[in-house]
Amino acid sequence: MKKGILYILLTVFTFIVLFPFLWMLSTSFKPNPEALSLRFFPKHPTLENFKRIIRDYSFGRYFINSLIVATSAAFFATLFASLASYVFAKKEFPGKRVLFSLFLSSMMVPGLMFMIPQFAIVYRFGWINTYRAMVVPHLANVFGLFLLTQYMKTLPDSLIEAARIDGASEFQIFLKIILPLSAPVIATVFLLTFQFHWNNFLWQLIVTTSEKMYTVPVGLAMFRSAHEELYSLKMAASTLSIVPIAIIFLFTQRYFIEGLTRGAIKG
Amino acid sequence: MKDTLTSYLFLLPFLLIFLVFLAFPVFYAFYLSMHEVRDLADVFGGMEWVGLKNYLKLMHDARFWWSFLITLYYAALSIPLGILVSFTLAVILNQPLKFRNAYRSAIFLPYILDVFVVGIVWTFLYSYPYGVITRLLMKIGIKIPGLLSTPGTALPSVVVAMVLKNCGFGMVLFLASLQNIPRSLYEACEVDGGGVWEKVRFVTIPLLKPLFLFMVIIGIIGAFSAFAEFYAMTGGGPAVIIGNKTFLSTEVTGLYLYRNFEQLKLGYAASISYTLLFINLAFSYLASLSMRRRFV
Repeated sequence: MKKGILYILLTVFTFIVLFPFLWMLSTSFKPNPEALSLRFFPKHPTLENFKRIIRDYSFGRYFINSLIVATSAAFFATLFASLASYVFAKKEFPGKRVLFSLFLSSMMVPGLMFMIPQFAIVYRFGWINTYRAMVVPHLANVFGLFLLTQYMKTLPDSLIEAARIDGASEFQIFLKIILPLSAPVIATVFLLTFQFHWNNFLWQLIVTTSEKMYTVPVGLAMFRSAHEELYSLKMAASTLSIVPIAIIFLFTQRYFIEGLTRGAIKG
Repeated sequence: MKDTLTSYLFLLPFLLIFLVFLAFPVFYAFYLSMHEVRDLADVFGGMEWVGLKNYLKLMHDARFWWSFLITLYYAALSIPLGILVSFTLAVILNQPLKFRNAYRSAIFLPYILDVFVVGIVWTFLYSYPYGVITRLLMKIGIKIPGLLSTPGTALPSVVVAMVLKNCGFGMVLFLASLQNIPRSLYEACEVDGGGVWEKVRFVTIPLLKPLFLFMVIIGIIGAFSAFAEFYAMTGGGPAVIIGNKTFLSTEVTGLYLYRNFEQLKLGYAASISYTLLFINLAFSYLASLSMRRRFV
């Protein structure tokens, strides 16, 4: 009886939380004249909105830009963080503790504070309207470094010693032993960085002025100010941004949830 | 020696990016905040040293202080509501229920989505007079104006959207901590005649104190970094007239900073960002003090 109430509460609440996205999905399949109707299921479902945003408004290109930026950023950020984490977890060297706390303290600084100087640097480098501008400034992922270092500390030293006796170089040890053993955390850091860059709207907005370099959210911002009344198209473009990351989440949620909670609680 | 060299080689890529794009900007922002753009064709070349002028101007900038108050208002609404919702969800999901993981994932999902895009979707739902939320509210007899275009309701409407988007994160944090509370403490409470409420009040809440504090701190930092939700949903509007001055009823500090940046008032924007840093640190410190006093 009491449990029944909890189920009802949870189901209603879950519905409320997901409702905006369900409505977005249904609207993206409605012809524009139908976009404002209160009927959830489209009377005349159509793929026309998706065809139009891709054919007439280059969202296909924006989608590929988003994909390139998020994938390359996730790859390099995870690589750099793993390399650094290995020595923080398993090596002793002068300056180690100072550097680590310096890295961690940067997490206290609000992101907006970095925006203007980072823009200035990117501008001076002549990187405006390049993938580099969108990716490189965020490749030092301190949060990922922290997660990876914590994890690598728990790997047994004996494995590293054994490999060293067998004549393996440091880089081979990193590549053949540390990386495979850290796979779950590496997956976490990769996914979180991918998600961060997929959603890094403000930064992508300020470093792109050429339509060719827009990512999906930037394209959506521009589209919105030009076509306020094309609701179905706006929702189709939103779907293009939300559905891929939601699908990735559904298949890899363990990594997302564990990574985000572990980092938050320990950090 | 060779070992040190190898270690630094491993560190190099990360360290290099960190120094150029995270460490240097902290100092460079300060440098910029002492300058003013003179040549709009060459914004970073055509700068002139103005000393503390930007900071002095900021002290007397009514629009800045207004945005500061709006940000506090945003924090004061969204933090308690967010904590209440996510804590309640966590306590419910901590019961042995079927489909717990499915509920948890579904509620967590919106947290990982882009704030800006989610804001666009909510703007569509809230739009007046045809948005689905507006029309549903009207159908059940609630006469409302445009939720996002009326000064009184615009900010609370953004709060509702963002709390629903982000509550999954708080919920998961609370759930993880709830599972660490030893059963014996609840049993002891039961022996003393405590019911569900007493267990929450005398066992759960005191033990989760550090987490509540953490949520308040990240909430404040979040409020002072808030940008995309307002950019997407209100653009800072609608305007309100107080005395003989016009203010924007949802222009939070992050948005005001962006507006200055947009107009290439880079020095001034940098001085706002530095002020934000100190405000953040001060609030985090105050939050930690007040939590210590209330509970111990």
